[in-house]
Order: sequence, then C-alpha cells, then structure tokens
Amino acid sequence: MKNTKKINPILRYFYTLISMFRTNIRDYGMYIALFVIFIIFTIMTGGIFLSPINFTNLLNQTAYVAVLAVAMTLVIVTRQIDLSVGFLGAYLGAYVVVAVENNDEKVWWALVSALIITIAVGFIKGFAIAKIKVPSFVVTLAGMFIFKGLLMLKTNNRTISTSNEFFNKIGIGYLTSIKIGGFDLISLIFGLSLIASLIIGSSLSRRKKKALGIPNERLEIFLTKMVFMSGIIFFLTYNLAIYKGLSYLLLITIIVVVIYFFITTQTVLGRRIYAVGGNPEAAELSGISVEKIIVFVFISMGILSLVSGIMYVSRTQNTSPNHGPFWELYAIAAAYIGGTSANGGFGKIVNAVIGSIVIMSLKNGMALAGVDANIEPIVLGSVLLLAVVFDIYTRNVRGADLVGMHYAKMKFKNDLIRAKQEQAKVKLELERAKKDNKPNLLDYEYKYTNATAELAKIRELIRSAKEEDYIRA
Amino acid sequence: MENNDILIMKSISKSFPGVKALDDVNLNVRQGEIHFIVGENGAGKSTLMKVLSGIYPTGTYNGDIIMNNEIKHFHGINDSVGCGIVIINQELALFSNLTVYENIFVGHEIRKSNGLIDWDLTKETAKKYLDMVGLDVDIHDLVGSLSVGKQQLVEIAKALSHNVKLLILDEPTAALNEDDSENLLQLLKTLKNEGITSIMISHKLKEVEAIADSLTVLRDGKTIIRMERSEINEQEIIKNMVGREIADIFPKRKKYEGGEVVFETVHLNAYDKEKNRFLVNDVNIKVRKGEVVGIAGLMGAGRTEIALTIFGNSRKYRTTGNTIVFGKSVNLSSPKIAIENGIAYVSEDRKRNGLILTENITENVTIAALKSISRNGVLNFIKQAQVTESYVKRLEIKTPSVLQKVRNLSGGNQQKVQVGKWLCVNPKILILDEPTRGIDVGAKFEIYTIINQLIENGMSIIIISSELPEIMGMCDRVYVIAEGVQTAEFNIEDATPEKIMEKATL
Repeated sequence: MKNTKKINPILRYFYTLISMFRTNIRDYGMYIALFVIFIIFTIMTGGIFLSPINFTNLLNQTAYVAVLAVAMTLVIVTRQIDLSVGFLGAYLGAYVVVAVENNDEKVWWALVSALIITIAVGFIKGFAIAKIKVPSFVVTLAGMFIFKGLLMLKTNNRTISTSNEFFNKIGIGYLTSIKIGGFDLISLIFGLSLIASLIIGSSLSRRKKKALGIPNERLEIFLTKMVFMSGIIFFLTYNLAIYKGLSYLLLITIIVVVIYFFITTQTVLGRRIYAVGGNPEAAELSGISVEKIIVFVFISMGILSLVSGIMYVSRTQNTSPNHGPFWELYAIAAAYIGGTSANGGFGKIVNAVIGSIVIMSLKNGMALAGVDANIEPIVLGSVLLLAVVFDIYTRNVRGADLVGMHYAKMKFKNDLIRAKQEQAKVKLELERAKKDNKPNLLDYEYKYTNATAELAKIRELIRSAKEEDYIRA
Repeated sequence: MENNDILIMKSISKSFPGVKALDDVNLNVRQGEIHFIVGENGAGKSTLMKVLSGIYPTGTYNGDIIMNNEIKHFHGINDSVGCGIVIINQELALFSNLTVYENIFVGHEIRKSNGLIDWDLTKETAKKYLDMVGLDVDIHDLVGSLSVGKQQLVEIAKALSHNVKLLILDEPTAALNEDDSENLLQLLKTLKNEGITSIMISHKLKEVEAIADSLTVLRDGKTIIRMERSEINEQEIIKNMVGREIADIFPKRKKYEGGEVVFETVHLNAYDKEKNRFLVNDVNIKVRKGEVVGIAGLMGAGRTEIALTIFGNSRKYRTTGNTIVFGKSVNLSSPKIAIENGIAYVSEDRKRNGLILTENITENVTIAALKSISRNGVLNFIKQAQVTESYVKRLEIKTPSVLQKVRNLSGGNQQKVQVGKWLCVNPKILILDEPTRGIDVGAKFEIYTIINQLIENGMSIIIISSELPEIMGMCDRVYVIAEGVQTAEFNIEDATPEKIMEKATL
C-alpha cells in the first residue's frame, strides 16, 4: 500500500496510547480505581485527604497491611490461603511487648525469640499443608483460633502499654535529617534516586529487549510512561518531604517490598513459586519440590506476620487482646484487589501494595469525611467484589492496535460498505421470504448467514490489523 | 435439500487462538443411518461435535446447524439435548459415586406431583432402559464399580432416557476390549433399527468398514470427502485421512547398530496404596545408547506408571526393584534426582502435568533448568531468552514471539515446547509418553524428525504409545505391557501389529 496516506503523528500518538491502555487494562484498573478514590475523597474532605499530614498518615496506616499483603500474595499464588496471620501477628506483637515490659528482656533478644517462634509456626503450617495434605483453609483456621487464645493468655486479657524507645521509634519515628527550604532532605534524595533508578532500569531493559529482538513499546509511549511514573513518585516524595519525611514504618515497608519484588521477579526461587502455583503437577515433574516451596511460602508469611505485628504494637504503643481481627482479611482483600488470581500462578507484589493502599484509603477517607463508620465495611466489601469482577472480565481482553485499525479501515472501507449493504439487502429478502412463506426458505437463510460471515470476516480483518503490516508495505 | 437428511451442518468454521480448528466444514447425516467421522487426531472431529452439541454455543462459530429442515441455535448442551441430540464423550460423564439408576436420571429426575423424586418409577424405568441396551447389572451398583464397557452402556441408557434421536459417540471403543466393542457395535445396529441415527467418531477403520452406512473424512479442519457404504474401503479412507503416502509419515533414520546399555530396570514393582494393587509388576527393561525403545500396550495397562516410577516416582507408589543408570544402581526417588541422572520425561497429558499454560514459552522451556540460567539464584534474563530462542528455532516452534502464552499455541507447538523444556536439561535418556497425541500430521512428522536427530546425537529414547504404527515406524525394539506386566519383547523386524496386539490384550 504505497499510496496509503500516512497517519497524522499526533493522532498516532494518542491512538497508540489508548491501544496500550486497552490492551493492558487489567494492569491499570487498580491504578485507575486508586486515582478515582483519591479524587473523590479529596473533594469530600475539601482537600484535607491529600494534605501532606494526612497523606503521610495514610501511608503509615497502610504499612502493617501492606507487609501482610505482600507475603499473602505468595501464599495465594501457590493456591493456598492463610487465615491465621492476623492473630499470629498480634500474638507475636504481644510476645515482644510483654517480654520487654514485664520480663525486662532486651528488645533484640525478644525479637530473635519471636522470629524463631514464627519460623517454627510457619514450618508446621507448611508441613501440615504440603506433606500431610490438610487443606490450608483448615490448618490456618485452626491457627486463627489457637493464636487468638495465645494472644489473650499472653496479654492476660489486659492492654499493656509500652514506652520503650524501640517501639517509639518504629511506631511514630521519622528518619532524622536536615530540612532544606522546608523540605526533608532524606526523602528528597530517596525519591530522586527512585526516579533515577526507574529511568535507568527501564532503559536498560529496553536495550536488552532490543538486543534480543523482542518487540519494545514505541519510544514516545515509553517516554510518556516514564514522565507519568516519575510524576507520581515526585508527588509522593513532595508530600512526604514537606511534612516530616520518611517514617520508619514506611522505610521497613519499602525494604520488604523491594526484597519481595526482587525475589519474585529476578530469582530462581520466585520462578519456582509461580510455577508451583501455575501447575503443581508439572512443577513437581520439572524437578521442583512443591513441598519445599509451600513450606517456604508459609515461613515467609510467618516472618512478615512478625514484622506486621511489631509495626502495629509500635504504632499503638501497646498490646491488647483486641488486636488482630480482620488483619488477615485486609491482606487477602488487598491481594485480590491487586489482581492476584485465586486459581494460583498469578499475582504481583507491587499490586498487592496498591491494593492495601486502596483499602486503607477507603478507611481513612471515609473517617475523614465523617461518613458513618457502619457504612465503611459495606463500601469495602463492594469495592473488593467490583475489583474481582473487573479482573475476571478483563482477563481475556484482546489487545487492539488502533493505528493498525486506522490503516485497515482506510484500506477496507469500500469492502466494508459493500458487505454491509449486501447483508442489509439479504436480510430484507429473507424477511420478505418469511412473510410469503416461500418453500426454499433455507436458501435465503444460507444467503443471510454467508453475508453475515463475510461482514464478520472484514470486521475481524480490521480489528486484528497491526501497524507493522502497513508500515512495511 | 434432501428430505431424509436429519442433520446438515453447513459451512461450519471455528477458531481458537492460534489455530483454525474448523474451516468451512460440511456434514450431512441421513435419517436412520450410522455415520462415521474419521480423521487424524487434531482434524477437528471432536470440535465439530462440540459445536453440534452446543458445548460451543451459537455465536462462537460461523455456519449453520440444520436439523429436520430447521436452523437450530444451541446456546448450551440443554438445547441440543432438548432436540434429541445426545453426545457421549471419550471421558464418560458419569458420577462414579452414584448408582446406575441415579446416573441415568441425573439432571432430569422423575418427580411426583408434590415435586419429590419418584424413586420407584425411576428404578422401574431405569431397568427398562438397561434392558434396551442389553446391560445385565444390578441398578443399585455404583457406576464406579463397573467396567468401562458397562459404563459406556450406562451412558447410552442415559441417552435413551433423554429420548435421543441423534446419538453421537466420540471414540466409544477406544478404551474397550474386543468383546465389549463388538457388543457396542451390535447395539448401535439394533438402535438403528429402532430409528435412532448415530454419528460415531472412530480411529478403528475395521469398525468403520463393518457397520458404517456412510462417512465423512476430516483433515486439518476441512471436509475432505463424504463416502457412501458402497465406496468405503480402508485404503481409500487412509489416503483421504492422511493426504499423503503412509511411507512419508515416518522419516528415515539410519539403522541401529547397537551400543552399551545405558538404563535398566531390574524387577521393578510399583504398588499403589490407594488402589490397592500393583500398577507395575516385575518389569525388566533395557535401553541402549542411541536406541529407540517402544513401550506398547493398551490405555491403562501401566505404561505411564512405569515411566513415572522411573522418573522419580512423583506419585509416591511403594516401589521395589532396582534402576541402573549408566552401570550404577541409583535410587530415583524424586524427579529432581532423575533429572540429575540424565533422565527426562515428556508427559502424556501436556496440559495437566506437562506445561504451565498461563505462562509464556520462555518460562516453560526453562523451568526445569533454572539453575543453568542463573547465578547465585538470580536469573539471567538474557541467557533465558537466548536459550529459549535457540530451542524455538531448533524445534521450529511456530509463534510470534517467545513471550507468547503457551495456552495460545496449537497442540503440536505445545508439544514442541514440552520437548524443548526437556532438551534444556541435556538428558541422556528421554522418555516420550504419547508424544504425538492430539497433534496434526504435519507436526507429528516434525516430532519424529526431532526424535531421529536426537538419536543421531547419541541420546536414548523410550517411546510410550498406543498407536501401533508409531511403534512400528519409530522403534528399534519394543516391550509390550498388559495390566502392569511385561508380556513380550520384540526386535522391530520380528514384530507385527497383530503380534503386539495379541500380547497387549492377554
């Protein structure tokens, strides 16, 4: 098609952008949801929601759920569930606080003991599930009851406060640094280096793909993405820097996320976890020990329950028999909102964190806007359901290349019009034949089917057109 | 438009991602005949029947289904059953935990006026249908306790209870022994006399010759020919099915000249605790360097169980006996150990336990060899992509990119991905379990060519297959297995399909 008119570059840019968006709608859905939630609450609270102080507060609130959600994602990816982590986390928090406050133990020693306990618990859960083949729902439901009881025993059914420096720092402390022109230096450096590593990392992987001949997205789309993501990170950084900077809670969360992101995307272990979730039998026959992977996943869940528990008791500066309920359900909901598949084999760490932010934004925003507290769980449940419905609907979404479609539309314009006219004509004939009750009605039906098929064929040609086919020609 | 056509399927086309399963297929079936659909695996027979029975609902395919001169739009299997079309699949749709009479009426229970189930009438009617199909069992028996042949008859009785006009049977005799097959064919004739039209999918051409009134040959999703009773003969059918000379199906390889024994099992037994019986019973096989060894036998004879026992016993059978790899006795207690000892296993059911369908080609090809493409547990993505690319080229996997989801590939290409995955671990002994099941003729030829290349490079291969031509065409030596017992060993020059079959049906 030498004489096909070249598409206007600006139009092409927007077409490609929309095409990418449509093709990957499943990945972007959650970000759109978060964006909408932010806008709604910002309006409802007259801007307070996105103020630096509340924004920092929101992220600090999210930390303990995000940490749980990260580990829970791996549990769900391997087709399991863990209902015990809420009370396990609360119990471990209580264990450490009681050890420090009542028994005068050193903090580090209490932490190490708690770590040993939680690793042992994770091992027992994993062993029962993987080796003895007790369904994880049952094992962890039992764990939920058990740790609830242990929590009440440990706290003696009383709230025990702590004023230990360690909890103080973790719970409400911020990284000390200098203020420059009212901005916290460390968080500024942190944000800028995050932007730098994002750009460098993405460019490197782009070059890698190019070297391997794997198709890359177009340069202008890549740049748009970079500008957009840098903008978001910058906004985050700005909001943190203008208030108190980076809290310890946030720092720990970021470290956890980075470690898990690395494990899941860059390591053999990560690939194996996803393989076990995708098809356990095939994984076993590929020489992967499914049992070991599942035990690992539950131990990792245990360790992050400890982290989460410590975060919570530090934030509240006390341990209480009332801690624990719903933590695991928030974590599970966050993973699902983040698009983790209940059928296993699919789920992203970063998306689970976004899922946690969605949940905590709803809680935080509604409280701030003065919505009746009884409404909150109803909204939360509805959002969870919507998110999963959205995920299922978009699972098999087919990518469309709007630029290719544009070219194809020009090319097949006349064919399309002709096919449409033909179909309309045949349809009319068929209806007339039906009215007259003609004996060879079937012939008319055939004609109609054929015309419809012809039209569908052309539409399909247009729908599946790719830009490359037209550039080279 | 002949009036005695009970069914016309006109210009049916259906696509799946990556394959055109049906391409303008036409099928005409006359009232009261037994019509056969024949074709190689992957020719589109089962897909066509799924379209007819509404499993693929109207709108997901192009073309028309015309029954008794009326265009039908089936939105689901209930619609087709409502029109008297009943399909009996290869995998029987029975509940093994329910009784015979419950199975017959499941989904359309006979009710009393108050809405409760009328068990007395149910049992009475069930008996009537069992008499019609000539099945002599207690209606209170659990279906799970019946033999496959009898279960098949229960399915037909169930079809009759639906007031069937057009009965579709998808390879009904594949899992049956000779007597049961004969019974079934007789039954079809009886039903024909009662006015029930049947469509049958079969690979057994002898059957076709014996009872077909007419047949349609499909190849690569297209209708090749419709033959009438008088025109039917085996040679002609095969020619149309394959579309090429039979000699071409198996590529030539230079004659096997012998080599040292690389693998051996000595008195290998495997006992299944759950089923309470021996699945592998005193099996002694030897594999030499550069040799293709066949394991023949009927489905369910224990061939796959032998392979799984050798390949690390992932199903945890209780085993005794010795496995000797390269002259050393090795306890192959996990797939990992088997792989480390140079054994690889391409599974018979690639979707269930061979591939991770939701992942892309790269992940699947490298999943068993992650160690070799990583350092200190961190993956090297460049190496991963390069390795995958090299196998995609070498095995001629047809795909737009190595990042394509395996789910979207055709059967033949999926099988090649599975082979690639195992070549990745550099095996010395490759076990191929039904390597060409469900893939088209062209891809079969390519798989055979790959096997020959591997043999020339000094690999040893075990082929497990229920297709005797494949065994005869590809193997140097063959063991025959029946009910877990090794019943014969032939050099291929001494073997004939008849001899093998005789030993397989002991």
